[in-house]
Amino acid sequence: MPDHTSNGMQCHEFDGLVSDALDGALSGSRLEGFQAHARTCSVCGPLFAEVTAGRNWLKDLTEVEPPVSLVINILASTTGVDTQRLRANVSPSLSMSQQPRVSFRPSWWERAQAWASGAMQPIWGTVRQPRFAMSFGMAFFSLSVALSVLGVKPADLRSVSLRPAAIRHTYYNTQARVVRYYENIRFVYEVESRVRELKRNVTPAEPAPAKKEHKNDTTQQPEQKQDRNYSQNENHLILACAPLGPSVFDPLNQDPLNPDLPVVSVTTYRRFV
Amino acid sequence: MEDVQVVAMLVRRCVAGDAAAWEEIVQTYNRRIYNICYRFAGSADDAEDLAQEVFIKMYRTLATYDSSKGAFVTWVTTITRNLLVDHFRKTKQDRITDSLDAASSAHEDAQPLSEQIQDQSAPPDARVRSREVGETVHAALAKLSPELREAVILRDLQDFDYREIATVLKVPEGTVKSRINRGRAELARLLQRTYRQVM
Ligand SMILES: [Zn+2]
Repeated sequence: MPDHTSNGMQCHEFDGLVSDALDGALSGSRLEGFQAHARTCSVCGPLFAEVTAGRNWLKDLTEVEPPVSLVINILASTTGVDTQRLRANVSPSLSMSQQPRVSFRPSWWERAQAWASGAMQPIWGTVRQPRFAMSFGMAFFSLSVALSVLGVKPADLRSVSLRPAAIRHTYYNTQARVVRYYENIRFVYEVESRVRELKRNVTPAEPAPAKKEHKNDTTQQPEQKQDRNYSQNENHLILACAPLGPSVFDPLNQDPLNPDLPVVSVTTYRRFV
Repeated sequence: MEDVQVVAMLVRRCVAGDAAAWEEIVQTYNRRIYNICYRFAGSADDAEDLAQEVFIKMYRTLATYDSSKGAFVTWVTTITRNLLVDHFRKTKQDRITDSLDAASSAHEDAQPLSEQIQDQSAPPDARVRSREVGETVHAALAKLSPELREAVILRDLQDFDYREIATVLKVPEGTVKSRINRGRAELARLLQRTYRQVM
């Protein structure tokens, strides 16, 4: 603030008296000096007008009514005071129109619900998160797939007995089922590999041109091949191995001890999945 | 503002575990605290949460109140103010004070704003108009910087004296007066601009 003297009063002095002037605490020569400065000073005059206007705006702001629930909630969260008594005679400081007319008496069911919702709040909050729901869904899906693969039906669960002997029985039953399932798959694998072997023995001359084509492809479009290798590694392997014989096959991918197994296992795997 | 003896007794009863005494304290001060919170935070929901927080803190620290060090209402308001500061920091509201560019236009109209407003075409219902004005002033108040806002709220809305405000804000009385005047002036500039746009 530029500090100059106007009517015997300096601007900083005037500034210090603004509040007192508005509060009506100035009198006599001080008030006269203040008023004269306000009239003549180009800085303090407008400033005083603004301060006055601002105060008048604020004086127009009336008090707001707090919500009726405020006192109830405060007491509930501090002393844990019985809320129904407070609901009945809310606040003597509040106007009659805002008080609830009827005494609010929650039933035992409402109280139980309130208690349950309070107790379940943290769990329910987590469960409602989409990420949790997604994970839960996936877990449920996996479990149901696993159960259906193992041949467990929901209807069976109804008759499940929890006696130790029954549990032991169920355990061995399930184990036997898993073993049987595994044996079946192994049997299928073996049959397939035998069929394949047989096929190879019957048609030995086929693979040669295929190999050439394959080679041409890769030399003509090395970038495409590379792309495919990175992004579709497994598909490529299947396409390459399924119709071709062992001579075409990349020796790196083949087990020297059991040349048939990797080829068969990969193809069957894809089919089963 | 309050009978020191009565309040001191009430607090003693409360510390001794008298639930009725605590309820009386809550009934006596909830309106004031709610209003301070509402005018500072701007929203009714925040105000309710904050006021509740104030009373929870008050309840826990009631035993530390020393009546010889100051009025109970000052103590209560200090708790409220401290929580409002925390709330402000947490929500990190960006307050645009606009004070610098507003200052350039301040000299044009020395006439008080209350008089300028009279010239406008008033809505038919005076109560509707007064409510609209109230909402506009409330919104303008939210645009003040927190230091200026709390000062004008305590002085012009809660009628605290400068000494009490100085105690609550922990600044000298001269600073309190200066902040109040700056707050009022800035509010007037903001409203002046609002109503000029309307016209
Ligand atoms: Zn001046």
